[in-house]
Amino acid sequence: MSTSTATRTASPLSLIVQPLRNAHVQFIVFGALLCLLPAIAKAGGMRNSTLSTLAFVLIYAIVALGLNLLLGYSGLISLGTAGFVGLGAYLAAYFQDDLKLGFWVALLAALVVPTFIGLLVGFVSLRVRSIYLAIASLCIAEILLKTFEQLDWFTHGTAGKQSKYPVVFGLQTDRATMFIIIVIALVLVMMLTYNTVHGQLGRALHAMRSSEVAAQAMGVNVLKYKLFAFSMATLYAGLGGALYLFFLRSSYPSTWNLFLSLNIIAMVVVGGLRSIFGTVAGAFVIFAVPELVLKKLPVIGDVAGLPYIFSGLLIVLVIMFFPTGLKGLADLARRPFQRLRANRSESGPPGPDPSDRVDPTGPETVLTAAEEVRPA
Amino acid sequence: MDLVLQPFLRSLETGSVYALAALGIIIVWRTSLVMHFAQGSMGMFAGTAVAFVFNRSGMPLWQAVLVGVAVAVALGFLVDFAIIRRLKRATAVGKEIITLGLIMVFLGLAPIVFGTDPMLLPRFIPSGDIKLGDANISYNGLLNILIGVVIAAGLFLLLQRTKLGLAVRATASNEPTARLMGIPTRSVTLLAWALAGVLGMLAAVMIAPTTTVTPTFMNTVQVSALFACVLGGFQTFYGPVVGAYLIAVVSNFLKLYVSSVWGDQLMYLIILVFLLFRPNGLFGKTYMQKV
Repeated sequence: MSTSTATRTASPLSLIVQPLRNAHVQFIVFGALLCLLPAIAKAGGMRNSTLSTLAFVLIYAIVALGLNLLLGYSGLISLGTAGFVGLGAYLAAYFQDDLKLGFWVALLAALVVPTFIGLLVGFVSLRVRSIYLAIASLCIAEILLKTFEQLDWFTHGTAGKQSKYPVVFGLQTDRATMFIIIVIALVLVMMLTYNTVHGQLGRALHAMRSSEVAAQAMGVNVLKYKLFAFSMATLYAGLGGALYLFFLRSSYPSTWNLFLSLNIIAMVVVGGLRSIFGTVAGAFVIFAVPELVLKKLPVIGDVAGLPYIFSGLLIVLVIMFFPTGLKGLADLARRPFQRLRANRSESGPPGPDPSDRVDPTGPETVLTAAEEVRPA
Repeated sequence: MDLVLQPFLRSLETGSVYALAALGIIIVWRTSLVMHFAQGSMGMFAGTAVAFVFNRSGMPLWQAVLVGVAVAVALGFLVDFAIIRRLKRATAVGKEIITLGLIMVFLGLAPIVFGTDPMLLPRFIPSGDIKLGDANISYNGLLNILIGVVIAAGLFLLLQRTKLGLAVRATASNEPTARLMGIPTRSVTLLAWALAGVLGMLAAVMIAPTTTVTPTFMNTVQVSALFACVLGGFQTFYGPVVGAYLIAVVSNFLKLYVSSVWGDQLMYLIILVFLLFRPNGLFGKTYMQKV
């Protein structure tokens, strides 16, 4: 990344710090740390309910990472996320418990079917205006929600579908092993997202974000990449749904309403667009903070609508005052340290100014434009 | 009972509700280029205020509706003045996500402000109906249809025939140019948000007697209004109104003749297929993006 590091003498500290610069190593270390949590819970250091809350944070982080690909890179909104997550959950339950085809087939079904439906919806709606995707996905979410309520042989209706912990590689899982499987899935998704964004696809998406017309002129098939981003979002949503079901072992139609989709959008916005760790942090803020903190507050903790107001206000305030979200906050906090490091390595050739390294494509996000937007 | 005319009259009744909500969405879209996803929830909030005032103070319904108008205008002003106007650098997507956030804020606020018990709201005209052959329609239903048609027509005249309407249309067509020509575009936008609020409130008060007033009672209206805009196209003011009545008619007939459970869902599928063939809506012109 920076040229000055090569000339710097290798101190013992830098031997540890240096590999951490690699994103994949970061993801694996993050995952390894998360894997300690079930052991901590078993030793009595954490309540089991807290562990469950954290598991849902990680599941929703997977879903939100997909939406971040969509929203962060192509500026498209999906209001159908909850429907696709729910579909993944019910498919996993149906294939595992009703058809008894085992964990892997159930997982595959939960990945393939939502992605296929996503491709169809995207193909119908993306040819017009970007905003039509939001409405079309809302359409599909309404249809799916009704399906969950009515299609008794598939979902058990409002009574809810019951399931059990899956058997993976001949091993009966329980709460702790399921948590570790979720962590593994999250780390894999983070890597996949990172590679997607830094590969050829990512370059096309970046180009589209700066100027769709310019990207088109350079030979980027805008429809294809928008479709790709949306199908990635539905793929992650299906995966999140399957993991949700395997962990909670039940699913009710009322879970998969519009407000879950809005909460996922809130996770992306609060975490920071196009930031992988930011999205995970956003999922924590939106899902775990109301669960672990707000509910315990005196007086206002009992108010039923509090989590809604919390998410809604955060969306409004973040876009108004701090559109880069938690990622921007982290960058801001890191800046003094970077300056310090730059000063310390004066003996070497001048490294790049850390403030230049923010984002090669400019600080504007799909939420804010550099100058006032021209009306279309 | 007439099995064609009867559901048709019922559809006109709900169609009027959808039309009012859709008009609110389209007028915000035309002046601010923002898809107003919170139209239904702001209408819900103001409508719940009407039910609250009506049930608590015992004042007549029309006075309670006037209170509702005041609440709706205040909400519209507040949202534009405190949020939308300050978003100089935000793109349309950013503003749309803000309206999505507002859905959650209003949904969370309503039970805190007005209590968690579901409320009831009576019809404007409690009883009496007209016979039309084998079909019948209540006076209240007729009033609802009239309100819908009169407001849509009035708004249309206002937009086409008055100076204010010209200002709105100019802002809709090109905001920076309109501002340079001396049109107070900020006031126009402020007015649009307030008007959207009032239309949403009216839709809420009209649909409330068929259900109970809870934070989610406007969900179907919001979804239908959005689809009405898609169906009618975003380029005209009358397109969404026609779309709204069409959606109500198709949905009612599907529910009656095809499936009472899956009627709405079938209609959503039809809309998706329709999008495939006429992506710009019934009255839409081909959308061209300027570079």
